[in-house]
Amino acid sequence: MTRGLRFDGVAVAGIGMVRFGMLQETPIAHLARDAGLLALHDAGMTLADIDEAFVGYIQPGSMLGIKAMKEFGLTGLPVTHIENASATGLVAFRDAAWAVSSGRADVAMALGFDKFTDMTRGGGRGAGRDQIDAPILPAAYFALWAQRRMHERGTTAEQFATIAAKNWNYGATCPTAHRRSDHVVTAEEVLAARMVAEPLTTMMCCPPDDGAACVILAREDLVRERQPGRPLVRALASALTSETYTPGHTFVGPVVGPSAMTRATAEQCYEAAGLGPEDVSVAYCHDAFVNEELEYYELLGFCAEGEGEKLVAEGATGPGGSIPFNTDGGLLARGHPGGPTGLAMIHEAVLQLRGEAEGRQVENARVALAHLVGGGSVATVNLLGNEGRAP
Amino acid sequence: MARVPIEEGFFRIPDDPAAQPRLLGSRCPACGEVFFPRRLVCAKCLHEGTEDTELSTSGTIYTWTYCHVPMFGKKDADVSGYGVAQIDLPEGPRVQSILSGARDDFAIGMQVEIDLETLRHDADGNEVVIYRFRPAGDAAHGAGAGS
Ligand SMILES: [Zn+2]
Repeated sequence: MTRGLRFDGVAVAGIGMVRFGMLQETPIAHLARDAGLLALHDAGMTLADIDEAFVGYIQPGSMLGIKAMKEFGLTGLPVTHIENASATGLVAFRDAAWAVSSGRADVAMALGFDKFTDMTRGGGRGAGRDQIDAPILPAAYFALWAQRRMHERGTTAEQFATIAAKNWNYGATCPTAHRRSDHVVTAEEVLAARMVAEPLTTMMCCPPDDGAACVILAREDLVRERQPGRPLVRALASALTSETYTPGHTFVGPVVGPSAMTRATAEQCYEAAGLGPEDVSVAYCHDAFVNEELEYYELLGFCAEGEGEKLVAEGATGPGGSIPFNTDGGLLARGHPGGPTGLAMIHEAVLQLRGEAEGRQVENARVALAHLVGGGSVATVNLLGNEGRAP
Repeated sequence: MARVPIEEGFFRIPDDPAAQPRLLGSRCPACGEVFFPRRLVCAKCLHEGTEDTELSTSGTIYTWTYCHVPMFGKKDADVSGYGVAQIDLPEGPRVQSILSGARDDFAIGMQVEIDLETLRHDADGNEVVIYRFRPAGDAAHGAGAGS
């Protein structure tokens, strides 16, 4: 039986990220370097302070993490590579937090980077892939889930578009977001964009991205010592699961459709933290395809099954709402390079918990939740909190 | 000219061009659960050693969508879009597949049956094929997805 991890005395020492986007001109190691140096500066540290590093990326190539780490210096520290598809960055965060919580490290770095423009260079879409699931567009798998929900619950494309518009408008307020619209985006504009896989238009799907992000975790006393005037943000708990078998499971291609995985993972994380959804001030979820966000309102416990549409109608997950979701624009607007995605979530969660999310600050933010799924086959839920909510 | 699968081990191509392809599944002798694709260990009861079985040629649409982009890996660009569905087979497995037919041909709960889609020709002149589903009893949609 898997269960969540509770972290003991682990605080965020530093955060850093480069703004996501199509960054063809910047070598991947330099993206990683720039994000990592921002986090080290934020922590008031150099590589000499880091006891262990966990590096995540999803693009092909071995040892890219070791190469990136050399940009900060060569101090002999242990470096471990982590790959869990879209969930990679959050799993690097979890392992760095556990390294500190377990006592094996005083300070641990989680670093993530990816370059979509490297992955697609020279190859056409799906070309040369002699695999059974190659002909099916990734967006289609998520569209299948959206269509089934529309059939079962009467959810409308407008309701999905309303969530997308909310995330686009959040993105415009976040300096590190890829998509920063120069005007207020409406549900009508989202619906009028080019159709990809019904009911998902291009404005309901995340963009291709390059980017890097870094989070440094350390013993709470060290963080207080280095940054005495700053609000302390703790890593509270984490859960990570893979699929369980139920009839109707699809084995070829990513899994879609109502899945118990996110719900079970959230329950494990809440239990480990001794918290519940009612304690969460702000949440981040896998909104690569925007219908997912609606499902996760329910699966993460913020409303009963079938009541997600009510939250949308009430504006509960937007500015001033009871549970704002994806305040940096989410995967949809902030962007989704892969490896760094989860660490960008933590970056935004920490800004919110420090009270530094200018233009999009959630009032009295106390506890933040970060969720990602990876390849449809793993899920992770992580909780952070400031001193307004001591564990 | 021979027909070859996009990837081995998922479906059997009949010698008779008019016959339907068959999806290759496994049945657990201990608990009776049926899987697609084939696997050695039962995912339900963890019994080791399943039996090969060929799955039904028709099933029911659980959910579907229509993609408004040319199909990945398909050479001729005359097709502007294609359907994708999850199909429940009578034996139990839920299969994700491309659909043959137009945007308005499909609905949740509808019966569909399997045939083959030609994606391209390989260097030896073989047709590279993948399974697809089309409305049951509808022989008119032989030409290609979305036509
Ligand atoms: Zn069995």
